[in-house]
Amino acid sequence: MRRPAAITHARDPRVLVQIFHVLLAIVAFGGLIVGYSIQTRAQTPEPGCGQGLMRRNDTGTGELLLKTAIPGCYFPAPRVAADFTIDISGPVARTRVTQRFENPADGWVEGIYLFPVPDGAAVDTLKMKIGERLIEGEIKERGEARRVYEAAKAEGKRASLVEQERPNIFTNSVANIGPHETIVVQIEYQESLRFDTGRYHLRVPLVVAPRFSPPPSASLVRYREGAQFNSFDPVPDRERLEAPVLRPEAGKVNPVTFAITLEAGFPLGPVVSDSHHISVVREGDSRALIALADRDVPADRDFAFSFAPREGDAPAVSLLKEQKDGADYFLALIMPRAVESPEANRPREAIFVLDNSGSMGGESIRQAKAGLQLALERLTPADRFNVIRFDDTMTQLYRRAVAATAENVAYAKGYVANIEASGGTVMLPALIAALRDETPSDRSYLRQVIFLTDGAVGNEEELFAAIDQRLGRTRLFTVGIGSAPNSHFMSGAARAGRGTFTYIGSTDQVTTKMAELFVKLERPVMTDLAAEWPSGTSSEAWPNPLPDLYAGEPVIVTFKANGSDGALLLKGNRQGMPWEVRLALSQAGEGRGIERLWARNKIAALEESRVLGVDIAEIDRDVLNVAREHHLVSRLTSLVAVEMMRVRQPNAPLTSSRVPLNLPAGWDFDKVFGETTRALERRADAAVPDALLMKRDVDTAPQGGVRPQDAGLVLPQGSTPAPLMLIAGIMLLLLAGVLRRRQQSTNARAR
Amino acid sequence: MRALRSAVVAAVFAAGATLVAAAAYIPAKAALAQVLLERAWDRAQAGETNAKPWPWADINPVAVLEVPRLKERSIVLEGAHGEAMAFGPGHMINTPTIGSRGTAIVAAHRDTQFRYLRELMDGDHIVVQTQDGGRSAFRVVETRIVRADASGLDPDDGGPTGARLALVTCYPFNGVLHSPWRYVVLADRESPSKAARDGGGEG
Repeated sequence: MRRPAAITHARDPRVLVQIFHVLLAIVAFGGLIVGYSIQTRAQTPEPGCGQGLMRRNDTGTGELLLKTAIPGCYFPAPRVAADFTIDISGPVARTRVTQRFENPADGWVEGIYLFPVPDGAAVDTLKMKIGERLIEGEIKERGEARRVYEAAKAEGKRASLVEQERPNIFTNSVANIGPHETIVVQIEYQESLRFDTGRYHLRVPLVVAPRFSPPPSASLVRYREGAQFNSFDPVPDRERLEAPVLRPEAGKVNPVTFAITLEAGFPLGPVVSDSHHISVVREGDSRALIALADRDVPADRDFAFSFAPREGDAPAVSLLKEQKDGADYFLALIMPRAVESPEANRPREAIFVLDNSGSMGGESIRQAKAGLQLALERLTPADRFNVIRFDDTMTQLYRRAVAATAENVAYAKGYVANIEASGGTVMLPALIAALRDETPSDRSYLRQVIFLTDGAVGNEEELFAAIDQRLGRTRLFTVGIGSAPNSHFMSGAARAGRGTFTYIGSTDQVTTKMAELFVKLERPVMTDLAAEWPSGTSSEAWPNPLPDLYAGEPVIVTFKANGSDGALLLKGNRQGMPWEVRLALSQAGEGRGIERLWARNKIAALEESRVLGVDIAEIDRDVLNVAREHHLVSRLTSLVAVEMMRVRQPNAPLTSSRVPLNLPAGWDFDKVFGETTRALERRADAAVPDALLMKRDVDTAPQGGVRPQDAGLVLPQGSTPAPLMLIAGIMLLLLAGVLRRRQQSTNARAR
Repeated sequence: MRALRSAVVAAVFAAGATLVAAAAYIPAKAALAQVLLERAWDRAQAGETNAKPWPWADINPVAVLEVPRLKERSIVLEGAHGEAMAFGPGHMINTPTIGSRGTAIVAAHRDTQFRYLRELMDGDHIVVQTQDGGRSAFRVVETRIVRADASGLDPDDGGPTGARLALVTCYPFNGVLHSPWRYVVLADRESPSKAARDGGGEG
């Protein structure tokens, strides 16, 4: 009986409906479970996190982790190792930096590396090395280069883009670095060595120090129709100057090596480095090979080295020539002999400005204070002086400059001894106060401002303009402090202030470097320098006009001329007496890279003409022309290299990340970031092992889906699945009840 | 056949019962966790180092958050991620500590600890005691409904008084599905003297 009954049941349409219901319930239940698990996954990241992200526990201790917008998920930061190959030939140095971008992540990465170049260096070459092939970069107008790069990045092609952020800060972006892949990029630049007090100096900056960029200021502007807020941002590109900075306890990253070939062109005296242990191998009288003595040197301080001619062999004049595209480019370096003169003892009005902001914390403030104490001791009762200190506040020791009596100097020394470093770097008010001159026409005093700072600011243009407008009879001398001072600001301010830039790299240099500065401060300068060319030749010389000279400084001028006939005549006013020197152009030696240096000087001069009120559109046009013609990176031109082959599939996500930088040696992390970035302050007290800090969260949006800048923080999920589970559970219970009832009724009928 | 049908009915019943139980477990766990956290907090305040609410707890309490008018009190945990938020409101780790300069963001579930956010009104006081004993008082100045990915909240911006607290939960309050909307209560820190007075009144 049973079997026929079963058959009847099977044919019974109600049974089919019932089976359908059961299937539906199973599907619905399955769907709920799947749906729930998907939602929980969205809410709490599963191990792995996807997109090449990782959880804290997934990694060993050696990884640098950047926080992402997804809580609990981290991103292993790309890293850069750099090799420097420097060829020095006479007063010109050519540097090739090989940057190896390593991607430790499981996903595709765009690495963005903020790196410094020496002030005044001309970046002209970019090569991307893939396997054995070299892809040469091209100079393009900045916007166009960016478009080419972005297109290649989106298409999944490897590409590199070198852009100038400041004349001494560049960004190298490298797109589509594969998982655990290394991409090698070479950048080359040209610079002229600095010659000062008998020695040639080369300083290679290795790390971009965190900058203090003053916040935008808002001001109420009244119009006839009413009032309107205008906001002014002194650092409109602040985002681009920021990179994650490592906490010191996280260890150092970004190792560097050096290989320097020195071809001095004269018998070499001592070769020394103030910043690193170096090994020097001499090859003959005038040639030497220099390398770092230590291995695994991190990029956390500038590399500084200098060499001198052997005693008595110093050339007073050197003239080099390079021929390029039918034009002759010259570089002349003339060392005027110092003479003793009674006129040297003109009294001075010295205004000392001390930067005691947070970035000066640690070693730097000690150096600055020691330097300032020496300078105060050096004053004579005939001199007048004042001391101004600033961070984001400012104090003037005396209301106006006072006589440097023993009593006043002792008081000032006591004041300086008690200054500590903290706060932001708001330089402009201090600068303006220092340049305020109560008796602008008084020529019986030499008025000098001595500015001790690391120049860790982002609003250089604003400061240069202020110096240029207010200088008057004052001369501004900058003293660069710390392991990585901003030399673009230091030398730019000294140029605008018609003074000099002195660099103190470590505490044991304070005495000698300050002594060199005192000589310059106390001796009159060579003024009214001018160059004259033989009649009939057209020429273009940079810098123009030539700057004032201080004791121990040479005249350096680059110029372009058509032909090598005749002689260059340099004239000046030395200690009240006329001075002149004549150089026969035909006797010039062969030099390399002079054309690029000349173009770089011309661009620098054009850029600086901005503060003189030259039309910006005109400057832009000229800069663009020079940069394109001479293949240089500038504010308006970038180098871009793109590989033809597509390596990343369009659906594979690409994460963009800034390469973390070291905190410059001697800096105090909490002093720098305590005041400026609260996000870091927080991490400073978190004892978690990955409290490595990062300044800015990594953008983990897949290609194209970039999070808008002003959208604010992404908020976490604020609900539990409990209500949903409750509803689903009740529905299933009801369903079970209905099924049970039907089953009972069918059973009853079947019986 | 009948056996199969019975089995299916039993399975559906079991699944339903499990879901209901799990749904009931979530708020129960949250409530129990707060009780245990409260005890651990008191022990920590009494000087016990490394006071854990339960032996295997891997969460880190950072503050006590109180709304005197509503008699609400909860222990805030470090991190606004799922694990922490199952037990209590979470402080987003990429925002400043509560009471420091900037906007501190605390998030919790709309159906457990932050159910009361809908009842908060402008002018309400919020008192926060941090682990180091620091006490700050905040006053509600604004409530807003925002998309999760466009909150407009900037952790560096502390509002007019320098320190701001943002309490965040899901919106709508009676919603069942996950929603892209968030309910945000903004409160600005009151002057320290006022905070001390409020603190004195409470304690």
